[in-house]
Amino acid sequence: MSGTSGGIASETTGPWGAAPSPERPAGLPTMRVPLIDHIWRVRGDVPIDPLLAPEEVFARLDPLLRTPGTAVRAEGGTLTYSKDNPAAQDKLATFTCGQLRIERVGAGAVLRFDLFSHALLLCFLAPLLFLGFAQMAVAINAWEGAGADASEKAEKKDEKPKPVKVLNPVDQFLGAPAPEDPNKKKKDEKKDEGRHSPDEGYFMAGVFALIYLVGRWLEPWLVRRRFRAALANPPAAG
Amino acid sequence: MAGVQVGKRIIGADAPVIVGWENIGRVQGGPVKQFVFTYFQPAMLFAAILFWYYAPNWLAVASTAIAIRLGWMILLLALEWVNPRYESWQLTWKEFATDAFYVGLGMTFLGMVDAYIGDGVIIKAVQGVFDWEKFSWFTGLPLLLQAVLISMIFDFGQYWMHRAMHNWYPLWLTHAPHHYITQLNINKGAVGNPIELFLIGLGIGGLFDFLPRAFLLAGAIGMTVSVYQHINVRFNTPRWWRFIFNTVEHHSVHHSQDYEATRSNYSGTWIIWDRIFGTCVDGEAEVLGMEGGRRMHIGETMIFPFREGWRSTKAALDKRFGRGANPQLQTAQMEPAE
Repeated sequence: MSGTSGGIASETTGPWGAAPSPERPAGLPTMRVPLIDHIWRVRGDVPIDPLLAPEEVFARLDPLLRTPGTAVRAEGGTLTYSKDNPAAQDKLATFTCGQLRIERVGAGAVLRFDLFSHALLLCFLAPLLFLGFAQMAVAINAWEGAGADASEKAEKKDEKPKPVKVLNPVDQFLGAPAPEDPNKKKKDEKKDEGRHSPDEGYFMAGVFALIYLVGRWLEPWLVRRRFRAALANPPAAG
Repeated sequence: MAGVQVGKRIIGADAPVIVGWENIGRVQGGPVKQFVFTYFQPAMLFAAILFWYYAPNWLAVASTAIAIRLGWMILLLALEWVNPRYESWQLTWKEFATDAFYVGLGMTFLGMVDAYIGDGVIIKAVQGVFDWEKFSWFTGLPLLLQAVLISMIFDFGQYWMHRAMHNWYPLWLTHAPHHYITQLNINKGAVGNPIELFLIGLGIGGLFDFLPRAFLLAGAIGMTVSVYQHINVRFNTPRWWRFIFNTVEHHSVHHSQDYEATRSNYSGTWIIWDRIFGTCVDGEAEVLGMEGGRRMHIGETMIFPFREGWRSTKAALDKRFGRGANPQLQTAQMEPAE
């Protein structure tokens, strides 16, 4: 059998979108980089009933693939799909293209999947971007700091005492702490470290490293669970 | 779709929108769950006010506010998990990662840019023009009144900026990407083109002299009120709250796929600004977005105002000088919608 599978929609619409659907699925990118590609690729298998015909197996997966902007092609025991910017509600949104293959293993059969995720790859790279922003903050601070010392001295000369603010009597009665005297110098006042802080950049780099690790574990687990659940249910009649 | 008449407008003619408080969903579950999701919002608002009112000076600082905000976000994410408003809005790993990118961009790169051209710099530049000392009596007002004034003044500016974005094409181009979101989650407020995020963040509150504690209190009001406009949690929000404050119900109407509905509920915190200026629609919507719910990815969000601005300008010039309209460019033009 070749061509588009009868039960699989290649172009679908729904309340969350009618994105343009590519004419033919691109399939998995041809680039093969052993080990490193574990960053963005997820492979695995789920057991299937060996008595099921490939058409029946793919028909059961149809609800997962019948989403806006998804192109699907089934040839024999192999199904290839690709998604063009899938909607947030798409259950396979993380994996923008993939290949599903039915294989006989002894007396049984399995559905092997090989999925590609732009989101995982970008998340893996995101810490570099935020480390770059942090380094940009450090560099700008150093550059601006060079000319700051002279102007600081000039400013100090014409410093006027600031008026001390007093709380409203209502707040005094209710016991709110009084404002600090702005003229009192703090003993532990640190030397000015510059206009920008690199800390936010370092923080976000750490957050994205964590998001990647969670996603690399969670998303394969979810996709396996979804395939398993879809394969366990015969498609609705009609 | 028939829609519902609200004032002189028909709401919900293009896409489903629920109009009227009596028609919106309620929290499902036992008495404990009902209690928690009825009183959570006011309880947290009063707790935040009490904390910032009485916190000693060494604790009442910006870094404490940042730490509290982080913990607060984690708590709200947990609430979204426990009691979602709509399954179709449920946060996925990919959506969380996408939202985190926008939050991170705001905290890092945009923060740096803001230090040079943000409202703080603009205020400093114009401060010499007027005698602002005349407003120094503000600091003598009760703290809570100062905080409410700061919050309302900021929100008043935000209301008109937001309304202008929906009614003037160049500003709309910056705001449109934010309207391509098809879910509401707590971080979705950060999703949008950087120019829009900069414009909507401009405030005039800094012009006036308030006590630092009043600013922290105003921040606490924002954190425990406006944060709910993008939350996927079903609350039984008290009547008085939804009369005064903006809610996710109001904001979902604003984000719906119905054009007229999007031209309502512009405020961030105080929905009474919308009530005063006649743009409030009480209700809720589930189906959100633009162009039938097409998702806009990060790359397109970044270039959208420039790309569409260029296309529109080119089409206008072609029309003006009679060079023949390009049908492809015409289809790319869009009507401003909130």
